[in-house]
This record gives sequence, structure tokens and C-alpha cells, in this order.
Amino acid sequence: MWTPLALAVVGLSLALAAWAGWRAARDRPVILRQLLAGAVIEALIVVEVVVAAVLTANGSPPADVATFWGYLVTALVVLPFAAAWAFAERTRWSSVVLVVAALTTAFLQYRLLQVFAG
Amino acid sequence: MSAVPGDTAHGPGRLIVAVYGVLALAATARSGVQIIRDLDQAPTAYLLSGVAAVVYLVATVALARGGVRWRPVAWAAIGTELVGVLSVGALSLAAPQLFADATVWSGFGQGYGYVPLVLPVVGLWWLARTRPREGVPDG
Repeated sequence: MWTPLALAVVGLSLALAAWAGWRAARDRPVILRQLLAGAVIEALIVVEVVVAAVLTANGSPPADVATFWGYLVTALVVLPFAAAWAFAERTRWSSVVLVVAALTTAFLQYRLLQVFAG
Repeated sequence: MSAVPGDTAHGPGRLIVAVYGVLALAATARSGVQIIRDLDQAPTAYLLSGVAAVVYLVATVALARGGVRWRPVAWAAIGTELVGVLSVGALSLAAPQLFADATVWSGFGQGYGYVPLVLPVVGLWWLARTRPREGVPDG
């Protein structure tokens, strides 16, 4: 359950990072369709929170609980920050920030997979 | 380029603030867990990581605010980072027995992809570049 979910988030995040990188290279800001893609990723992370909470309640919590939730909560806030900046900064730099946010999201999922297994 | 003299938060500054924010978040979360749970195992290392995390938070806020009031804060915080990563990085290699576990700054920020080493240099460069020109009244 956990691994396919996390891999889906990694794949989508890397795709979004590539898309944002392409727009940054062409000197374009973030567009609404990219934010919708980000919202899909964010929804999957919310599903992860629910799954993790259910697993914890059922007595099979992740191996390192404190670290696990630290990464998960961090993963929840990264993309919304980039989205807020996409509205405020209508230059290519919003695209660059989205690249950083999407890569951070992918990296956090990689760490979550490691911590989950213990 | 920037509307307000000494502005550090817009244009390319967004990227620097973003990377600072991620590092501040990562360092705060990790050192928080370590200090709450395992402080007795490596007090020097974990408290040092905690201090580093606070400095990153201050630098993030100062760069995000910018302007004449926050720029000195940013200079001080980012300067502290550079001194910290260089001195702790050197110490962690020369006298590893001082630290029972890795800190943010150990091995010149190795555990964080050397971002802690590169970021203060970029931050200081950005502060110098966005410095308000002399003779122009500060906002």
C-alpha cells in the first residue's frame, strides 16, 4: 500500500519538476495547469497521511514514528508554499521555485520510503 | 529590478528564500526530534544542530522580509552560517571525537548534499548584489 503510493508521488513530482524546469528555461512563470498537477500530488500526500494514521491506529506504525511524521508534515507544506509564490511572482523565478519544491517533494518521498521500512 | 531598495525577496531571491526555507525546515525538524528523543546520546552534536536550525530560520525570515531593517539580520545570520559550517566542518574532520553524531555542519554539510556550505556563499553574494545604492534614500 505504502510503496506504490509513495512511488506515484515521486513519479508525478519528477514530472512536475521537469515541466516547471522547461518553462523556467523558456523564461515563463508557473501556470494554473501546473498548480492543478501540484494539487493532485498534494491530494496523494493527504491520502498518505490517512494511510499512515490508519496503520498507526491498527498497531503497525512506521519504524521511526517521529522522523516519519516529520517528513510527512514537511511534504504537506512544501507545494502549497510554491503555489502561493506562483501567484505572487509572475516571472520565471516562480517556475524555478516550483522545480525546487517538486524535487524536494520527491526527495521527501524517497526518505519516507526508507524510514517506513526502518 | 527590485522596487524597494535592499529588496531580497523577489525575482531570483525567491529561489534563495525557497532553498533556505527547505533547509531551515529540514534542520529544525531533524534536530527537534534528536533533541527531544536522544539528547543524552550526543548533547554537543544535537544542540549544535538545534542552534544551526535556528540560524537558518532567522536567515529565511530576514531574506524573505528584506529592506533596510532586515538586511543586517540577514548578514549576521548568513555570516554565522558560513563561519559555523567552516569551523564545525573542519573540527568534525580534525577532531571527530568531539561529536558523538553528525550535525548539519559536519563534514562541511555532507549529510545535506553540501547545501549548508554553498548556501551561505550564495546568500552573501545575493545580499551584496541587492545592496541599496549610496545616496539613494532607504525604503
